[in-house]
Amino acid sequence: MDSLQSYLIIAAILFSMGIYGVITRKNAVAILMGIELILNSANINFIAFNRFGGMENLDGHVFSIFVIVLAAAEAAVALAIVINLFKNIGSVDVDDADLLQG
Amino acid sequence: MYQDFLPIIIFIVLAAVLIGVPLGLQHLLSPRKNKGGDKLISYECGELPEGSAWVKFNIRFYVIALVFLIFDVEIVFLFPWAVVFQDLGLLAFIEAFIFVLILLVGYVYVWAKGDLDWVKMNVRYGKGRYANLQSKGETS
Amino acid sequence: MSNLSSLSFYIPELIIIIAILLVIVLDVIPVCKKYTFPLSLGAILLASVFLWQSYGESHGLFMGMISIDPFSHFFKMIFLLSTFSIILISRYEKQLDSNYSAEYNALLLIVLLGMFLMSSSINLIMIYLSIELVSIPSYILAGMLKNDKESNEASLKYVIFGSFASGLMLFGLSILYGITGSTDIGVVTAALQAIEYPLSIYFPLILILVGFGYKISMVPFHFWTPDVYEGAPTPITAFLSVAPKAAGFAILIRVFYTMFTLEGSVSATLPLTNINWPTLIAVASAVTMTLGNLLAVQQEDVKRLLAYSTISHVGFMLMAFAIISPDAVRAIMLYLFIYLFMNLSAFYMAIFASNKLNAHHINDWDGLSRKNPVLCAFMALTLISLTGLPPTAGFVGKFYIFAELFKHQQFYWLAVVAILNSVVSLYYYFKIIKSMYLVDVEGEVNKIEAHPVVNWSIILFSAQNILFFIYWEPLIGFIEKSINLWSG
Repeated sequence: MDSLQSYLIIAAILFSMGIYGVITRKNAVAILMGIELILNSANINFIAFNRFGGMENLDGHVFSIFVIVLAAAEAAVALAIVINLFKNIGSVDVDDADLLQG
Repeated sequence: MYQDFLPIIIFIVLAAVLIGVPLGLQHLLSPRKNKGGDKLISYECGELPEGSAWVKFNIRFYVIALVFLIFDVEIVFLFPWAVVFQDLGLLAFIEAFIFVLILLVGYVYVWAKGDLDWVKMNVRYGKGRYANLQSKGETS
Repeated sequence: MSNLSSLSFYIPELIIIIAILLVIVLDVIPVCKKYTFPLSLGAILLASVFLWQSYGESHGLFMGMISIDPFSHFFKMIFLLSTFSIILISRYEKQLDSNYSAEYNALLLIVLLGMFLMSSSINLIMIYLSIELVSIPSYILAGMLKNDKESNEASLKYVIFGSFASGLMLFGLSILYGITGSTDIGVVTAALQAIEYPLSIYFPLILILVGFGYKISMVPFHFWTPDVYEGAPTPITAFLSVAPKAAGFAILIRVFYTMFTLEGSVSATLPLTNINWPTLIAVASAVTMTLGNLLAVQQEDVKRLLAYSTISHVGFMLMAFAIISPDAVRAIMLYLFIYLFMNLSAFYMAIFASNKLNAHHINDWDGLSRKNPVLCAFMALTLISLTGLPPTAGFVGKFYIFAELFKHQQFYWLAVVAILNSVVSLYYYFKIIKSMYLVDVEGEVNKIEAHPVVNWSIILFSAQNILFFIYWEPLIGFIEKSINLWSG
């Protein structure tokens, strides 16, 4: 049972849940949660491939550490932008930000 | 190997039973009429509640958590380095030192702009809807 | 080569890193805050001096992460020129809050550093990190006007769309790493040729194309472009339309050119013969051009119109990308270089109009030729160049791209689509010219002067349209020497 496929299936399920979250949710913070799920599913992929792939170096693990740090930085910037938007239009609903159209 | 998962199954079944049985019993044994209405208002020692239950909390919580998060992920980088840097020689030490130095510049910026204080004293209102306010302790 | 010996070849980037740190430190000390502007300009000049000194060498630095070669040198010149011009002109833009000018300059320098890394990266880790290093400060820069609702909305749309596209690209990178076993592009290429199932290569390549396509506004991933370009402050729009797009093209060419050509070959060979790459890119290019042009026809806001025209130019450049050969790469690089000048002068004219006249709609540009005839003449020259009519440099760029298609005798239908799209683009570019020259404004008309920096920026950048029509041969010669990607 400890095979590559089970980890890849878990990562694929997380990836699709993340995409569902980004596409469906109205709250801006919930969309950012979906994006975090996508990034973490890629992390599981990297670590699983490095564990079972038979490579000599640890590139997958190193890459996933970089992705963790980058996901944190991106979430920080995105939340700051959402707070700025809230101060101006009073709502975090993305449907309410509709001044730019066409 | 699957015997290791037996405690988890026991926990799941126990949790389901411990919650499901009282709920089911309550549904069976409760009276059918006289439900709802005033019985559903939240209890505040006999007074009627007024206003919303949601309280606005200070935005400074977010700012402090954000600054903590950035330095926390810096530590994520320092952990693997700390385990192996003895074997890597002087160059790895200097490189990690430069890395911490770059993040220190960011720390100095956050500190000097007043983002680490609980009440931000040197905020500039400038243009916008608060342009005619004056803040105390304003340093330009 | 190892880390320490790589540093001597890495000097331009080191200068920019030190400049970023110094700008942030000087911003904190109230006495030194006025030195941040000359410091950032001086750092860019110094970095370009050191960049020119080291032209012609090819190295792989930092143990296979970055490659300094003439290809990246050409793109770095484009980045330095555009960033210098944008930092210079942002000082005279009225919308931007001058209290935050130091942070603004620091963020622009960080984007510049990210673009340097994007044009040089040959490792999957470096590709992802450099794209994020360009994207994250861009999100902040697009939302720089903190009290303007449109700017907030632009940055929100940019950050959601950009993070989503980067996440998809990262998933594709993870699968590519898994099926090939390494993060170095050369090893990835060698390992991909041994895989029998085309579907397992298609899937990660399509996902990686999502990430790159978002950066260059290719069609199914272009939805952020008009909204961000309209809502962001105009210097940032000008910057975003030129520099990150050029960086996106640099990394697109480097990654896919390495994957789809044999080492050292000059003909268009495709070792991955089980993937129909040219048709995929040709269809994407045709849809991009058509959609960009059709949607630009009905626009009335000048910045939004220029944003859609940017998308159609990208479609044009992708036309040459469908044919993988050094000549096609030469055509794309020439077009990018000319496109830099055309786009920057068009956006600087929009800055002038919105600063002095508060003009956002095309109707607000009525009679501008009587208020400032010199700048309107140069703007008309720029618009003619954007269309691609003969006595301008835009014609040279478009000519080279068409020549690629006809030389390799493929995709004649694509050339027909491109010519039809050029005709359509004539309509909306000339809408602006008509509004400037042919619409009469009653009442007295007083002359409006632009700030000397804005004035001379528009004139100099627009004059390049004529200059490169006459002197395009030295430029082509320089580009041909630059197509020298370091590999192995």
